Amino acid sequence: MTEIALKADSLSVSRGRVPVLSDITFDVSVGEVFALLGGNGAGKSTTLLTFLGFLPPRSGSVTVLNKPVTQNVEFVRQKSAYLPEAANLYPHLNARENIKYFLSLAKVPRSASDIEAALDEVSLATEARGRRLSSYSKGMRQKVAISLAILRQAPVLFLDEPTSGLDPVAIDEFNQLITKLSAAGTTVLMVTHDVYGACQIAGRVGLLKAGSLVGVFEAPEGGQISPEEVHRAFAEGA
Amino acid sequence: MDNIIRELRFSLRDPVVALTLLVGVLLSAFTVFSGLKEVDTERAQIERVKQMVDDDRTYALADQSDAGGAAYYAFHFTYAPPSDLAFAARGVRDDLPWKHRIRMLALEGQIYETDAGNPELSRIGKFDFAFFAAFLLPLLMILLLHDLKAAEVRNNRWAFLSATGGDGGRLLLSRAVLRAILLFACIITPFLAGVIVSTASLMSAVVVCAVIGLNLAFWLVLSLFTTSRIQSGPTAAALLLGAWFTLTVALPVGGKLMVEQSVPVPMGGEILLTQREAVNDAWDLPREATLKPFYERHPEWANAEPVSEGFDWYWYYAFQQVGDQTVESMSEALRDGVAERDKAMAMIALTSPPLLVDRVMSQLAMTDIAAFQSYDQCVRDFHAALRAFHYPMLFGGKEYSAEAMKELPTFRPCASNS
Repeated sequence: MTEIALKADSLSVSRGRVPVLSDITFDVSVGEVFALLGGNGAGKSTTLLTFLGFLPPRSGSVTVLNKPVTQNVEFVRQKSAYLPEAANLYPHLNARENIKYFLSLAKVPRSASDIEAALDEVSLATEARGRRLSSYSKGMRQKVAISLAILRQAPVLFLDEPTSGLDPVAIDEFNQLITKLSAAGTTVLMVTHDVYGACQIAGRVGLLKAGSLVGVFEAPEGGQISPEEVHRAFAEGA
Repeated sequence: MDNIIRELRFSLRDPVVALTLLVGVLLSAFTVFSGLKEVDTERAQIERVKQMVDDDRTYALADQSDAGGAAYYAFHFTYAPPSDLAFAARGVRDDLPWKHRIRMLALEGQIYETDAGNPELSRIGKFDFAFFAAFLLPLLMILLLHDLKAAEVRNNRWAFLSATGGDGGRLLLSRAVLRAILLFACIITPFLAGVIVSTASLMSAVVVCAVIGLNLAFWLVLSLFTTSRIQSGPTAAALLLGAWFTLTVALPVGGKLMVEQSVPVPMGGEILLTQREAVNDAWDLPREATLKPFYERHPEWANAEPVSEGFDWYWYYAFQQVGDQTVESMSEALRDGVAERDKAMAMIALTSPPLLVDRVMSQLAMTDIAAFQSYDQCVRDFHAALRAFHYPMLFGGKEYSAEAMKELPTFRPCASNS
């Protein structure tokens, strides 16, 4: 039997008085990549923030590694790495200093060579690593955040539009990296607009529309989900 | 410990924090240095003027042949020396006189003939350490803390930070406390250097550190409270600046105006004028009009000297004293009124932490109203001692001699002023 790492059960969430998620249910197995697709305001980021314990469920529940998030926020954050869209790390620190700072916050000690290896993995130019992030492009900053997520070696990865700002080569490298991490047992919940990217790496794709999960597409054995099919469902509202 | 070192490195690398701390340490060092220099200048001034007045008195007394002339020409220098902590808090020392040149004439006029210098300048006040630590330090604190959370939210870092660190709120709290401690260290270090140079008491230094620490703690709590509820940095800054303005400007100034309205006091100039008029008028009045109130105060000298037609020193000094007696109630009203106003301001200071800090520091530095009034009393006591010395020669027939003049009282600063 497949072990469940993440589970949303009849989850409804409101932001203020506005209902954002309505009765959504899905789960993600250990080592699986699950992508949530949807338009603006569909509730993708809200789902991630609920799994991270930033937003309380109005009804239903979310669990991470079999622990209810509401009662185990610190545990959840310790066991997961979060990569926000356009992560603006500290502009007055360079790449290495930013990584060291956040690793220290997460209480995850890593050697200098580990850090260099992670930066190599995201192809951040060596000469840029000692420069302050204020001189970085959006894509370069995102690469630093990705390398931080790699270094965390957390069993769960929450990715919010992770390829936003990356060039096509970097997107391809990122997708390969996620596939590699997934193969090593890391569970990934990713929200994105990028239908083709999601279909390339995800084992399943969920389609969110106006706060409801309107469809789930599963990759065939040894193959990929058809982006055309997802795109059509997306356009038709499933 | 690792967390402290991490946040310390992080904060010191932040240009806004580093610049704010640099401004803090420079302003603190400037106020301490200028305060020490001011105290040195005052001490040198005291030594120089004291020597000049002593020499002048010796020279003047050498030519005198009677008690009246000796009392008239012998000037005495009275002063309140700056305390060892006066470098840190000037208090009212720039507004009210702390040195006088006194002689046996009517005292009230001499006391209120202030030598405070340019009144406009004294109104602005000196930029001293107490002013900086009480009123300007909160601005640096606001600068360091108003955007602490808002910047994280604005830069899309808040969720990332919290997700990575576990509890973003706790992290920002420790960051805020560390910044407050760094600011405190930047302010206190030059002050402690000043304490060592001036050999001020350790106990006073500890109390000063404690009140500045409490002032910082107050603004830390207020800033954290505000920023926890306001998501926008500029709005939080505006609210905190509003609180700063209310507590450091509106309350003290409004309170002072209210106290001045509700506790009227006679002006020193008014006392000076009334006393001088009383003395000048005495020349044209029958002597009995002067001597009667004088002898009522000093029955021991009544009928000691016959009333003659010509000029007599005893009559001259009697009408000097009667001049003082004429304004006695006004002078008392002024002193009581000033004390009452000060008491009322002490109550108002309980609502304004910066004002309270400033008052406590002035009190420790002995530059407050109480110290000024104590000096005022010290001068009065000395003048009374001069009269007690001269009157037996003027009224009681005690023989004037150079030998007797060796017993002439000399001014010593009162313990409460040194």
